[in-house]
Amino acid sequence: MGEFNVWTSLPAVAPEIGLTILAAVVLLLDAYLPKEKNRARNIAFVSAVSMAVLALTPFIWAPAPNTSELFWGGMVRHDALGQLFDVMILLAGAITVMIAVDDSGVGRRGEFHLIVIIVTLGGCILSSSADLVMIFVALETVSIPLYVLAAFRREDNKSSESGLKYFLFGSFASAILLYGFSFLYGLTGSTQLTAIAAGLNSEIVSGNLVAVLAALLMVIVGFGFKISAVPFHFWTPDVYEGAPTPVTAFVSVASKAGSFAVFMRFLIEAFGLPAVSADATSTLVVIDGQTIQTFWVNLLTVFSILSMTVGNVLALRQKNFKRLLAYSSIAQAGYTLMGLAALQAQSAIGQDIAMASITFYMFMYTFTNLVIFAGIILFVEATGRENIADFAGLQRRSPWLALAMTIGLLSLAGIPPAAGFFGKLFLFQAAVEANLVGLAMIGVLNAIVALYYYLIIIKIMYVDQGIDEDKPLAMPRSYAWVLGITSVVIIILGVIPTPIFDLAQQGAAAVRLAMGS
Amino acid sequence: MVPLWVFLMVSAALFCIGVFGVLARRNGVAVLMSVELMLNAALMNIVAFWRYNNPTEVNGLAFAAFVFVVAAAEAAVGLAIIISVYRNRHSIIPEEADTLKG
Amino acid sequence: MDILNNWAFVGIFAVMAPVFPALPIVIAWLLRPHKPNVLKSQTYECGVETVGDTWVQFRVQYYIYGLIFLVFDVEMVLLFPWAVAYNRLDLFAFAAGFLFIFLLADGLIYAWRKDVLAWK
Repeated sequence: MGEFNVWTSLPAVAPEIGLTILAAVVLLLDAYLPKEKNRARNIAFVSAVSMAVLALTPFIWAPAPNTSELFWGGMVRHDALGQLFDVMILLAGAITVMIAVDDSGVGRRGEFHLIVIIVTLGGCILSSSADLVMIFVALETVSIPLYVLAAFRREDNKSSESGLKYFLFGSFASAILLYGFSFLYGLTGSTQLTAIAAGLNSEIVSGNLVAVLAALLMVIVGFGFKISAVPFHFWTPDVYEGAPTPVTAFVSVASKAGSFAVFMRFLIEAFGLPAVSADATSTLVVIDGQTIQTFWVNLLTVFSILSMTVGNVLALRQKNFKRLLAYSSIAQAGYTLMGLAALQAQSAIGQDIAMASITFYMFMYTFTNLVIFAGIILFVEATGRENIADFAGLQRRSPWLALAMTIGLLSLAGIPPAAGFFGKLFLFQAAVEANLVGLAMIGVLNAIVALYYYLIIIKIMYVDQGIDEDKPLAMPRSYAWVLGITSVVIIILGVIPTPIFDLAQQGAAAVRLAMGS
Repeated sequence: MVPLWVFLMVSAALFCIGVFGVLARRNGVAVLMSVELMLNAALMNIVAFWRYNNPTEVNGLAFAAFVFVVAAAEAAVGLAIIISVYRNRHSIIPEEADTLKG
Repeated sequence: MDILNNWAFVGIFAVMAPVFPALPIVIAWLLRPHKPNVLKSQTYECGVETVGDTWVQFRVQYYIYGLIFLVFDVEMVLLFPWAVAYNRLDLFAFAAGFLFIFLLADGLIYAWRKDVLAWK
């Protein structure tokens, strides 16, 4: 770390500083702009464009190549992985604001956009946190505004109920997580993740294996809630269905991507990685002769299998589109957990692919989910219905909307040329590199089950006869832009995934080298 | 001086009461209070560990201060949400809020 | 022996202490006449009677004030260390504190402009 210097430390938090200024500006805009028809639309425009521009800052003030340095007294890391997560969360925020503009319940009030900016700020901090204090504060900066957003339609029963459920389960999970953190701090006397790893490896902790495992278990429960992994998933369907749709879209991408980023960092930095070759040193934390990694890797393998299977099987019998996407998102969390389980790989390439595949999956998942949710919002605003059967004959009513949603669904199902294909391929590859062939097989089987319900929707949109097929759907310009851009990004990522994946792999290698293995 | 384990026992008791409250109470406000108990248990752990294990560093105190602030924000938002649910349904019991089922 | 004597005082006090307050109550109970009536057994013998149930809801206005107070009150926890170390801060830490105050003021202005602070 060395001497603290403000100017050299600033690039590590460039997007965060930008977002803070943006939040202050939007707050004043909302307070002082005169009441006129396009007021909220102007605020939304300022927010979306600023966030999209801020998504460039991680590239302008990029970290030195192949490094993962600590800044701000060990609070944040500046590396390519954090950079990629920052970009996807910022773009998710910008797109959410764009698709909320014409939503009658939420987008026409200025404070909605302000709260989205604050969630984005929390997500950006979260993805590069390297300290327990920072992780907790960032996690709550993401969660607390999201509770507000879920309950944003105050007069709507469903929305306030979903906010209440989200709040009660979410704060319960945060409290459990924090209790786990307090023991990690107590046992090691440090809140910085790598210092915790050093503390856990030293003599002072010997004999406290049970306490460490209990603390780790509590942390896993807390993160499990946030990423909606089975068996901590039960809030997901209700919150997804009840919350205003733009909020559901944002919950499903921003909160999930940020949580996965920090979960991965936490497990790697606080509990170490195996040696990458016979003569390399292992950074694994070993207490009383027990390797802690064995414990969490096996636990997450079980959670991964459960999440994939439960999510996909329950998704099969859903009639409501948003509920279906909730179960689908549980299944996607299961696939991504496979990447975390693959961190037990004993080769450099295996560990790098494990980290990079999680990053790439979240990157493509952000665009994939947002394109589908944008389509749903457009459809529900026009028709007021959100059951899957209501989408019958969509192709005749709005061919471009049907095409964009098809691209999104193909990506979720993992069919080329959509990006989801490479997303899943990299995760399965990571599992195979870590000798988890069985887990990869279960993943492939689940992907086949999932194929069924995604393809059914495409069939409904293109083949089935709808009741008002003769009424074409109007496409506002903001939605046309969002659907167009996200679909193109999905196809580009699906045809040439290497630039993003290589960047993620470099970032992963930097994290691995910074750990000293 | 009182040994450290006394504080840890008290905080564990607080935490268990909180968990029990969340799982057993049906009233939204009571669940919120139980969550606050759990957060305070963690806070007590942090401060006790700081005082006994490394009182010369400030990281424990900083951690505690931030947890304190976050807990207040969470309580404020939670109460606001509970009030908005109450205005809609005149009940703050989560199980009775059952528009969402499936 | 001295120790025992000292403890004996404690013992005597322990016995006497409850007796002293209890004795007047018991004597009064034995001596006083017992003639209850409706007026006497009311909670308040004078003043205005309460109307309705005491478990009424507060106006939501109180609640909003309470929330705003809570948030700004708690933020002081973070400013306190800054104020204590004021003389020894470098320029950046000094500026950071003011930035924090500015953001708080921003929030207060927002609440003010949105008419939350007006008593309606």
